[in-house]
Formats: sequence, C-alpha cells, structure tokens
Amino acid sequence: MRLIQFAVVESLSATSPEGVLLDIAAVTILLCAFACLGSKLFDRYVIYYGAQSIVLSFAAAVVALHEHDAGLWVLAALTLLIKGIGIPYGTRHFLIERFELKRDVSLSTGLSSSLIFGAFLTAFAFLVIRSGTVPNGLVAQAVVPISTAVILLGALCMVVRRHTIAQLIGWLIIENGVFLGAIAIVATFPFIVEAGVFLDAVAAVLIMIAFVSGLARQLAEASAPELRQLSE
Amino acid sequence: MIALAVIVVLLPLTPALASALTARARPLGAVAVVSGLATLAVAVAIAVGVSGGQRVRGLSGFLYLDPLSGFFLATIAVVVALASIGSAAYVRAEEQRAKLRPLQVRLYFIFFAIFASMMLASFETGNLGLLWVLIEASTLASCVLVGLEGKPVSLEAAWKYIIISSFGVTIALVGTLFLYFAASDLPGSPTQHLTWSFLFAHAGGLGAQSLRLAFLLALIGYGTKVGLAPMHTWLPDAHSEAPSPASAMLSAALLNTGMYAIIRFQALTRAELGSHYAGRILLIFGFASVIVGALFIVLRGNYKRLFAYSSVEHMGIIAIALGFGGVLGFYGALLHTLTHAIGKAVLFLTSGDLVLRYRTRLVDEVHGVLSVTPLTGAILLLAALAVAGSPPFGLFLSEFTIVRAGLQHSSVVLVAALLVLLAIVFIALVGAAAGMALGDSPARPTAGPAYVERSGRLLAATPLVAGLAMLLVLGLWIPGGLDRLILQSIHAIS
Repeated sequence: MRLIQFAVVESLSATSPEGVLLDIAAVTILLCAFACLGSKLFDRYVIYYGAQSIVLSFAAAVVALHEHDAGLWVLAALTLLIKGIGIPYGTRHFLIERFELKRDVSLSTGLSSSLIFGAFLTAFAFLVIRSGTVPNGLVAQAVVPISTAVILLGALCMVVRRHTIAQLIGWLIIENGVFLGAIAIVATFPFIVEAGVFLDAVAAVLIMIAFVSGLARQLAEASAPELRQLSE
Repeated sequence: MIALAVIVVLLPLTPALASALTARARPLGAVAVVSGLATLAVAVAIAVGVSGGQRVRGLSGFLYLDPLSGFFLATIAVVVALASIGSAAYVRAEEQRAKLRPLQVRLYFIFFAIFASMMLASFETGNLGLLWVLIEASTLASCVLVGLEGKPVSLEAAWKYIIISSFGVTIALVGTLFLYFAASDLPGSPTQHLTWSFLFAHAGGLGAQSLRLAFLLALIGYGTKVGLAPMHTWLPDAHSEAPSPASAMLSAALLNTGMYAIIRFQALTRAELGSHYAGRILLIFGFASVIVGALFIVLRGNYKRLFAYSSVEHMGIIAIALGFGGVLGFYGALLHTLTHAIGKAVLFLTSGDLVLRYRTRLVDEVHGVLSVTPLTGAILLLAALAVAGSPPFGLFLSEFTIVRAGLQHSSVVLVAALLVLLAIVFIALVGAAAGMALGDSPARPTAGPAYVERSGRLLAATPLVAGLAMLLVLGLWIPGGLDRLILQSIHAIS
C-alpha cells in the first residue's frame, strides 16, 4: 500500500532538480498573478496571463518528464498552444483591438490596496494549507499553498474588477492555479487532460459571449443618435 | 440494462439531428415531444429495473447505475418530457410572432437536446471525474439557451451564469482532485480511485483531512450549480432571461444534477467521518438558502425571478433535509427533489404562457389571468399553492417528512425556524400568484392570445395539467414502486 502512495506523489522532493524547477515555476506563476492584479491596461492583463500559462506548460512538462506520463505531455502541449497562445491572441484580436479597449477604469478598489489584499490572501493560503494535508518533504508542500494563493488572487481579480475582460482573465488565472496544484499533488489524475480541454472550451464560450455582447452594445450605441433624430 | 442506459442518453438528441433537416418549429417540436416521451419511458424502465437494489456496472466503472441514479434519471426524464412538450408550443408561438429567427429555433432545439442528454448521462456514470466533465458540459449547453434571445440583458445573464457557475465547477474540480488525493493510500488503479462505488466500499481508507477539504470544496462547487446561497447569484438572472421551457429545465433539472453530485460526495464523507461533519455544513448552507429565498420572494418584482428565488429556497430545503439525515431525512430530500421538480416545471411553463400573453415579466403588471385565460390562471394559482407547500399536493408531504426528520434527528429550534421561513414564503408566493390570477382583466389590451392555433393551446396545456395531476397524486398516495426506489436509493448511499 505504501508503494502505491509513492507512485502517486512519487517523491518529487524539494531538493531534486525537477523539484527546484517546479518551485521556481510556481513562484513565477504567482508573480504573474500579482502582475495582473497590479495592472490597469487590458493589453498587460493578456500579456501576463499568457506568460503565466507558458510557465505553467513548462511546469507540466517538468512533471511529465519526471513521471513519464503521456497525458501530462499532452496537457503541457495543450496549455502552451491554447492558453499560452490561443486565448491571449483571441482576447486581443476579438475583444481588445476590435472594441478599442485601453485602460480598465471599472475598479472597485485601488491598485495598491488590491495588491495588499493579495499579499494577505497569499499569507492566508500558506497558513491554511498546513503540513497535515500534504506529505512532508515533497515539492508539493510549497507548490500547493502557492497554487491556492493563485486561485485566491484570480478570485480577487474577479471581485475588484467589473469589466468582462478583467473577469475573464481572473477566471483564467484561477484555472491556472488549479492546474498548478493538480500537477503537483495528483499528477496521475486520470481526467487532467479532459478537464483542461473542457475549461478551455468554457474560456472560448466566454470570449464569444463577450464578443457578441460587445457587438450588441456597439449596435445599440450606433442606433441611439438615429432614434433621437427620428423623434425630432 | 446497459443498452437502455445508452439509449436514454441518445434519445433526447434526436431533435438536434432533426434540426439539420429543418429549422421550422413545428416539425422540430413534434420530434422533441416524441423523443421526450420516449426518454421518459426508457428512464422509468431503468428506474424499475434498479428499484430492487440492483447495481449495473460497465466500462470499468464509467457506467454505473444504482437505485439513486435510477431515481434521479426518472425525475429528470419527467422534467425533460414536460419541458419538451412546453418547448414545442412555446417556440412555435414565438416563431409565429417572428420573435425567434430560424437560426435561433435551430439553436434552441440543438442545445436543449444536448443539455438534456448531458444531464441524463451524468446520473449514469460512477466515475467522479466524468461526472464533473458531464456537469460542466451541461452548463455550456444551457448557457446558449439563456442567451438565446440575443438582447444585451440576456447576454449579460448568460455571461453571469457561465462565469459564476464555471467558477463553481472549477472549485468542484479542486474538490474532486482532493478526493483523488485522499484515496492515494488505497489499493487499485488511478481510475478506480475516482470510481464512486470503489471509493464507497473502501471509504474507511480515505485520508480524513483531505476528505473533509474535498467535501467542503465539492459542496461549494456543485452548490454553485444547485444555487445554494451565497453562490446563488447567477440563478435569478439566468432563470428570468432564458425562454420559459428552458427555465423549467434549469430550475427543475439542472439544480438537481448538482444536488446529485453533492449527495454522492456526502455519502463518501459520511462513510468515513460519520454524518455529523457533512450534516452540519449542509444545514448551514441550506438555512442560508432558505433565508435568502424567503427574503427575495417577499420583494416581488419579476415573476420569473420570484419563481427562481423559490428554487433557491427549495434547494435549501433539500440541503437541510440531507443535513438532518437519517432515513426520514433522505426520504424527504429525495421525495422533495421529485415533487419540486414537477411543481417548478409546471410553474415555469405557466410563466411562459404569461410572457407570451402579457409581454411583461412584472408581477404588478399582470392581473386577471383567471378571467383572460381561465385554464392558465387556475394552473398558476394551483401550482403556486403546490410549490408553496400546501396540501393536498406532493410538496406538502415531502416538506412534512423533512420536518419530521428534523424533530427526530435535530433540534426543535431548527425545525421551528424552518417552519417560520416556510410560512413567510407561503404568504408571499401565494399572495403574488393570487394578485396575478385574480382581479380585473387589464385595462390595456394584452398581446393577444398566447397560442393562435387550437393545437398550440392544447400542446401548451398538456404538460401543465399532467404535472399538476402528478403532484396531486403524489400528495395523496406514493406508489409502491416509487417508495421502494427511494428506500433502495437510501440503502445505496448508507
């Protein structure tokens, strides 16, 4: 029985080369989430999110190399292609450039206070994920609190910003946090690729709705002066 | 049995195939009615087949049927059948008034079909990962229905719906990951560690700490789909903006799909940690939902939102019943799932007739439904009474069972609080419905009859009368087969 447990979280110990790489990747992912939280320009959101996804795909590749797991290689490739390139490109092309969006003004909290909140949430994540949940001496012990922090930061993004694109990016950051945690503690989870594909489909639908409702709003704005003219 | 299980998932898809040939509402509606009724027949056959406590396993645990899945299959199939008949009438009426373009008619039937099929499939899998995928897929399919009308406000509702419930479902994925992690000490393959029946048999070996976390996350995640407060905020918007038969499906079927997942997670948690931990959390979320539901039902405004808040309240009642536990508590929860599903389907389909007739969704602008269309008015009043929990309808019986469970397994204070909240809801809901049904007929002309043709009127009335009749029967007498199915379902999860 013991043997089987170690096949699952097989000693990706914090001191092995893979462990160190995964740790660095996790910290970079956390920094990207903070960068998103501290930015006001729509362009930047997308750039930081894309960078975060590319780092995540690197992390997935590291674990795939360690576990020799084909599913994880697929996950790494899909993360790179869809989240690293596809979604940032789609958001930029269909939403930001199409509707000429520049600066996010619908913030309910100032940038500095949301960064401070973010720091609190990160500390909170480290406090709640105690060693009781995750076995000692494994890289997961550092990565799981970080991934929890990334999830919380994404949620914070969604809470303090009201613009649809900011909410979309916030949700995507949450998703990245979930997958970071997943590859660290349950790399052999059988549905990891399917789950990734489904969440990407959700992202595509969200981009589509934002696009269509943007068009509808543009149409309404364009027709409003006309209506006024008719009434005169 | 395995063949039936495959058929019941494929049958609802026939309207989607038919929509490749035509975009007219009449033939598509006819196909939907036939496939809805056939689905119901097959689902009932499956439920009868497993009502003796049989388990059906196949495809290394991906296919798994037990009495609980049979019960939910039959319940959702009833809703699918009622809503399919309602859709046939509603979409045709909207098409005749040129409110829906051919593309929208086509999209409606395609995504209605996928939505129904995904929900039915989610009861047939024993694999918790696949369950997650199927529930997520049903969210995606139903989102198209919510945004179907393409107005900015319905698109906003669709956005809110999908972003909040996807957030919830992502949390549920984390819960599933933690459950998988909790199972890492067990023997067996990775796929088995996600198979519910395997986990249930070996629940004693699950890691307690991770399992606690897994249940909490799954409850929050799937609870978002169920509409438990405070994760319910998407629900009133989506229910009020979707076309009414789709609202009926959301309220009466989709919410129960989320509840089914919670029941499965609760069973695992109870097997390892005892009933106390899960029960307490369910009671907290349940009471929060009933309170939120009651508060917003009192603030009447949009009647579809009113019915949506009533769904929040009823999901809260089911969560409370699961929290009370014991055979009586589970019996009440399952019976309430069935009776609420039928009652809410009838109520939302009635609201469809009102929208067509009055072209408004505000309670205060609708008067005298009884004198304008006597049948719709009568059904509106009776269905509101039934959903508010008045005898002799089925919801009275199920709520009574839940109260008895509370007295047996929990404190009198909680039961008293529940009764007070139910009384508030009763007064507010019946008051709003009475205000709409009674009174003088409106001074300004209504938008004309809801259905031009006689066949349309007949088609629209069928599910309303049938649903109300079922509720009446369930209030007076529980068929022996249903009783056995519910008892066996309880046996399967305890």
